[in-house]
Amino acid sequence: MEQPGTEQLEYYLSSLDELGEILIDAQKAQSVGAGILRLTLGTVMASKGAIFLYNKKTDRLSFLSSSSKESPSSITPPKPLIRELIKHRHGHILIEGQKRWITGGLKKYTNKEKIKIITPLFHKNSLLGLLCIGPKFMNEIYSKIDIKILEIISNHLTKALYNYQLIDDVEEKKTELNLKLLELETLFDISVAISSVLDIDQLAEDVLWRSVGILNASRGVILLKKEGSPILDPSSNFNWDESLPLLSSKLGIFQDINENKKGKYLTDEDKSSIQKKLNEKNLIIAPIAVKEKTQGYMMLCNKETRSGVQPFNGLDLDLLTALCNQAAVAMENAKLFKEITKEKQFNESILGSIATGVITIDPLGEIDSINSAGIKILKKEKEEIVGNHYMYLFEKDEDVLELITMSEVEDKVISELNIPFKTVSEETVINISVAPRLDPEGQRQGTVLAIEDISDISKVKSTFKRYVSKQVVDELLDNDAKLNLGGEEREVSILFTDIRGFTSMAEKMTPETVVTTLNEYFSEMIDIVFKYNGTLDKIIGDELMIVYGAPLSAENDTERAVETAIEMQKRIKDLNKQRTNRKEPPIHVGAGINTGTVISGNIGSRDMMDYTVIGDTVNLGARLCSSAKPGEILVSRSVHKTTKLLFNYKKLEPIRVKGKEKKVDLFRVLY
Amino acid sequence: MADFSLTTRNEGNIVIIETSGYLNNVGGEQIAEVCYKEIDDGKTLFLLNLEQSKVVNSIGVSILIEIIEKLQDVEGRLGYYNLAPIVEKTFNIMGLTKYSSVYQSEEEALEGMS
Repeated sequence: MEQPGTEQLEYYLSSLDELGEILIDAQKAQSVGAGILRLTLGTVMASKGAIFLYNKKTDRLSFLSSSSKESPSSITPPKPLIRELIKHRHGHILIEGQKRWITGGLKKYTNKEKIKIITPLFHKNSLLGLLCIGPKFMNEIYSKIDIKILEIISNHLTKALYNYQLIDDVEEKKTELNLKLLELETLFDISVAISSVLDIDQLAEDVLWRSVGILNASRGVILLKKEGSPILDPSSNFNWDESLPLLSSKLGIFQDINENKKGKYLTDEDKSSIQKKLNEKNLIIAPIAVKEKTQGYMMLCNKETRSGVQPFNGLDLDLLTALCNQAAVAMENAKLFKEITKEKQFNESILGSIATGVITIDPLGEIDSINSAGIKILKKEKEEIVGNHYMYLFEKDEDVLELITMSEVEDKVISELNIPFKTVSEETVINISVAPRLDPEGQRQGTVLAIEDISDISKVKSTFKRYVSKQVVDELLDNDAKLNLGGEEREVSILFTDIRGFTSMAEKMTPETVVTTLNEYFSEMIDIVFKYNGTLDKIIGDELMIVYGAPLSAENDTERAVETAIEMQKRIKDLNKQRTNRKEPPIHVGAGINTGTVISGNIGSRDMMDYTVIGDTVNLGARLCSSAKPGEILVSRSVHKTTKLLFNYKKLEPIRVKGKEKKVDLFRVLY
Repeated sequence: MADFSLTTRNEGNIVIIETSGYLNNVGGEQIAEVCYKEIDDGKTLFLLNLEQSKVVNSIGVSILIEIIEKLQDVEGRLGYYNLAPIVEKTFNIMGLTKYSSVYQSEEEALEGMS
């Protein structure tokens, strides 16, 4: 090797010194590349050159630094060149005479820049790049020292590039790990959302947005199946709202996903109808399925990179499937919550609208809920009731406490009708039902009380039952429509009874005996009246006025009136036997029955009002009664006409009655 | 969510960029274009109001990293405010918040950047 002069040696040493500074100072591969290229060209007195980086994954050479402003972005190195570079991994290549393996883009570059020397940058067996040097100043020949210096510089450059590559690799791995962490965090967030977000639409949007972001998609949509329609409902979309056409679940891609229970990604090579329909090539679709039942799909479009759009891959599908699985559970939870809430509201609205008070008692005996009817019945604020122990709430009602205890001990439903409820007032009367409160497994979890306030009904009953039988009262209360207590014309049969000669009889009796006699008589007679569902209209002295057909009508009103009268007469016979035994004078009753039209209704003043009937029919009934001899039952023609086939009658001479011009026909019942 | 758009305004020496839409490749490039132009004009402090950008992808993040690197060369800074929780989480995980600041409001951001 020729010996360099002192000046040249100093120059080379200063270059190497500068090289050290560049390597220490530079923070990035680009600045190292630029610095070293400048230093190299200056050291060997060359005007042009470049440093290429080799990317093994893409098999491309790209410029790290170049002296030329117009450099191609990257070059695919010819295979023979790579082989040749490996041969010269620890040396250099002089272009002259070695051009056969320099082809393509590299040939174009080396020719244009008149590259003379290529030094491969190898670290162990890995090619990291190339150092290319153009012609020496004034076209001098490169000396051996120049070549040696180039090799020293390229060794340092290789080390530096290797380090930067390591750093880049670490950065790349770090980014990959961060992306994986982001994926895991997204899955975690969705799993958190399962227990926190209960609005399906909000949940769907949240999951979609996260999926679009994490998969670098351009846009996305969640398509949900709808009952009874093949058209999928785009429940949530991202950047796809206006251009999304109607999509049917019958489309091949969705059928395919359903059959295979697996999502799909479509690329440029696929020719699916959905790609045509959406005018998109890169799609990824995963099912949103719960218990193998597909509820819908998440579809994303176009995977973005810095250099444009690329197809989705299997890893993307795995991630999207995981996201969809999480989403499906979350959405199912939200759906169930919605259903339960709806059902709860429905139940509450039923409980709120029924007239029966429903009170629930927890296993500790505390009241944990009460419906609005219950609050109304108890006449207390809800706050005074809920949270209170039932023993305190119902402390005045031993019957109620006893019923709850019995239900708890016997573990069965116990009902009690018509009991006083002092918790509210002395006058309050209730029907109560106490039932075990069971959980879905059938285990007792407390008690349910159903309370019906029948105070008003009791009042009606106690008022009405003086006039009509219990059966009629019940029928009236069961069916308001039948009850018309306002004035109306109606067809009725009226029975009058009267004790014959009672006034003169009473004169011979003590007042106490009169009352006892009448009470005994009325008690027996009214029992018969109620037996035949007659309405006891009036008791005037010893006279009874009984109506059949008001306030409720029946087909056999007249028949029942006659039967009542017959049974009354028979009972009086029995009664008289008892009276004779008691040394009391017998009583004899005459009865008259008429059928016809009357005016019925509540008649009287605001302070004193009675339900009664008025009219000629009533008057004739009373006249017939007056005409009847002791033990006799007289009926009018209208009664006879209706019941002649049922009872035996004897026609009597027509009689003249007050208020009637013509004589009226009358018949005696033969019993 | 509509296509990406942005508006800029200056608060003193701070450039405020308000975005709307998906902060992806397209959105990121638009932000970068504005930032690089302003950097060339000598601006070094930038604030991004991301209230209307609820979704960001890794390409958008990588472009923001590039902007941060450019700003480091001119000793500048980038800050953000009104971030959606998902976006803030992404920025944290991807390491953006080590080299740029997140603020809760514009007022806090302007104070923090000054």
